[in-house]
Amino acid sequence: MLDLDLRSILKCVRCGACRSVCPVLEEVGWESAGARGRILVAHGISQGLDVDADVLESLNTCMTCGMCKQMCPAGANPTYVIENTRRQLVMRGEMTEAQRKLNERIMESGNSLGEVSDRRSWLSEYKGEIKETAGYVYFVGCLGAYRYPESVVATFDVLSRFDVTILPDEICCGSPLIRTGFDVDELIAHNIEQMRKVGAHTFITSCAGCHNTLIQSYPDEFEVMHVSEFLEQHLPELQLRRLKLTVTYHDACHLGRCRGVFDAPRRVIEAVCDLKEMKTNRENARCCGGGGGVRTGYPDLSLALAKKRLEEIPDGVDYLITSCPLCTKNLIEGGSDTDVLDLVELVRLAIE
Amino acid sequence: MDLIKKLHEIVGIDRATTSPMQLYCYSSDSSQIRGTPECVVRPQNTGQVSQVLRFANEHDIPVTARGAGTGLAGGAVALEGGIVLDLSGMDRILDIDINNLQVAVEPGVIHSRLNEVLGTEGFFFPPDPGSSEMCTLGGLIANNGSGMRSVKYGTTRSYVLDLEIVMADGSVINTGSKTLKSSAGYDLTRLMVGSEGTLGIITKAVLKILPLPKARTVVLASFDNPVLAGEAVVKTLSAGVIPSACEILDRATVEVLNAYDPNIAIPDAGATILFELDGTVSSVKEQAKIVEAVCMPFASGIRIAAGGEEMKEIWSARRLVGAAISRIDPNKTRVYVGEDIGVPIKEVPRMLKFIQSISGEFGLPIITYGHIGDGNLHTGMCIDMLDNEQWKQLDLAADKIHRTAIMLGGTVSAEHGIGSARSKYMRLERGNALDVMILIKRALDPRGILNPGKLGL
Repeated sequence: MLDLDLRSILKCVRCGACRSVCPVLEEVGWESAGARGRILVAHGISQGLDVDADVLESLNTCMTCGMCKQMCPAGANPTYVIENTRRQLVMRGEMTEAQRKLNERIMESGNSLGEVSDRRSWLSEYKGEIKETAGYVYFVGCLGAYRYPESVVATFDVLSRFDVTILPDEICCGSPLIRTGFDVDELIAHNIEQMRKVGAHTFITSCAGCHNTLIQSYPDEFEVMHVSEFLEQHLPELQLRRLKLTVTYHDACHLGRCRGVFDAPRRVIEAVCDLKEMKTNRENARCCGGGGGVRTGYPDLSLALAKKRLEEIPDGVDYLITSCPLCTKNLIEGGSDTDVLDLVELVRLAIE
Repeated sequence: MDLIKKLHEIVGIDRATTSPMQLYCYSSDSSQIRGTPECVVRPQNTGQVSQVLRFANEHDIPVTARGAGTGLAGGAVALEGGIVLDLSGMDRILDIDINNLQVAVEPGVIHSRLNEVLGTEGFFFPPDPGSSEMCTLGGLIANNGSGMRSVKYGTTRSYVLDLEIVMADGSVINTGSKTLKSSAGYDLTRLMVGSEGTLGIITKAVLKILPLPKARTVVLASFDNPVLAGEAVVKTLSAGVIPSACEILDRATVEVLNAYDPNIAIPDAGATILFELDGTVSSVKEQAKIVEAVCMPFASGIRIAAGGEEMKEIWSARRLVGAAISRIDPNKTRVYVGEDIGVPIKEVPRMLKFIQSISGEFGLPIITYGHIGDGNLHTGMCIDMLDNEQWKQLDLAADKIHRTAIMLGGTVSAEHGIGSARSKYMRLERGNALDVMILIKRALDPRGILNPGKLGL
């Protein structure tokens, strides 16, 4: 029996206000591709609608960017309804091939990319020491560790000047699986045990997905900070020089809209160079198209949405700054003409 | 012939579907009316709409037009199966002709987008529905929607100069012209506006536009109760001030607005009237003085909005308040029934008293807000959707609200449309004029394929 939480579904008054903000609906056009449509699909399932490939596509093409939840006048929470429905269907064994493979990949390899190589191989480029115990742990994340080692090295190079270390055996935080409907108790237990080993009290994240998940799904035992928040607190100690650059900043949905981290990255950027905002920003920033399992399951849609986001880059900027490697990847692969740079890499430029 | 095969031939494989999931998504609008189509089609141009209708007419297949599906009366719901035509993808602004004071648009253009574009030219399309951010102009025209500024600027009907219509047999006509007025024969444009897709499908519209006023201000007046507020509005209008908007918010509505957007600090009161005044800087000041003087004997407090930002916030929140009242109770949801009555302006205070008494009779809190300046009141009721008894009381209350409005010489729908939700009141409200409507319907759609089951036809 599915527990679809009918009351949450019925909170939607079907006014259609979410049609004005859903980037997927704008791209796809069919009612089923927007938040209202997806809630209707969830309602339909509760009324006996067969779960076929179309149902799964409707539910799984949501990036969980939270734009609809933020603006819903009725107070409905489409993101919750969608994630809960995905989860209920997964529990019943109903999922797409992409979901199934993602789960297999992460559970077998401990990372979202299915990499079998050493997660810490980026350390070969890191010249400093690694503390055995520390108050803070830099939670590297799968994408950073395997796809953006230079960014990870830059980040740890800055952070390791403080009371920060890394986990001896970090694995995926579970974000991609939670978003797509799977249980991640094992992953959470593993990472928590690692945290206890190093005696840390705070996670420092550099990925919006990790950040949101560590806050939302991990026990309250540990604090969670985004690297921008940590750096903002330590700006005077970093003695950053001013760069002759103008950059723009992409708000990652799960860091900004979902967790309210808007000011810290901007203060860090403005400490080293000039900032020019994108057309939509802060609470209203468009999604890069990468989240919620869409990058994995629907790459064409994901890249089309990335292109739309790239159209919002203002003229006359040297870099598009991001604070999440998934956004970085999607915006680069979406064909950005402007160089995409992680926030901490920008800071690193101001240290050298 | 296989319906979906034919539709794929006309619009392409990706723009017509019989997917049960998709049909479920298109089986409702914002009302409680349900009806599942046999297929959904997303045409891209007039030619495709024409071919679909020709085929449907030849095979007696019902066709229901739909914009954004934001209607509140089931107008876009396919009651008898057939085809739903989702026109939201025909969304081009075809021509902005400032010299002729008009624009040409496709039906899927979102209302707010048109005004964003026109605003850069110093012009606007005055009808101002609460659903501005999501409703399509085709839907607005088909329902003769209007909104907050109708007290001064009238309804959508006043701004439609010409419609390209695909008739039931697939033929295409133009109902008007590019001139701002015409005496050439029957006014088919006005006939089509508000016909809810029962006489033809709108595929293009030419709309009259106006220059933006130089100045706007908002006067917020607080009253001990809605009846006093209603009397103040009647006095204001008869004093010769026609506000560009004149909205009533009862105490609960103000609570909702303040909760939805904490930046809005409308004072707690039994009722609040928002008077928006527009014109030149000096005329706005003069009107504001008159409004203050007229309201003073009735009001418990009066103030003028601080500036453009506060006005913008007030109107943004006001537009979405209809859905926002769902926030009052986490276990309740706003249900759109009996929500759009209109009464003659001088009957507004009486209607407000009746609403209070209906609320007591059925044990349902009724939130009241709306365009009091033109007699259009929105009543908002929230229920526990899982409680059958509350559904029964809701329907009884809505029925009484509708019948009371008619009794006072009013209408069951001032701007949202009749659709199916209110069709049973058409005879009571329109009398034998409904017979003429039925004759017109039969003449233009002899096989009855266009949006059957609507308007009481």
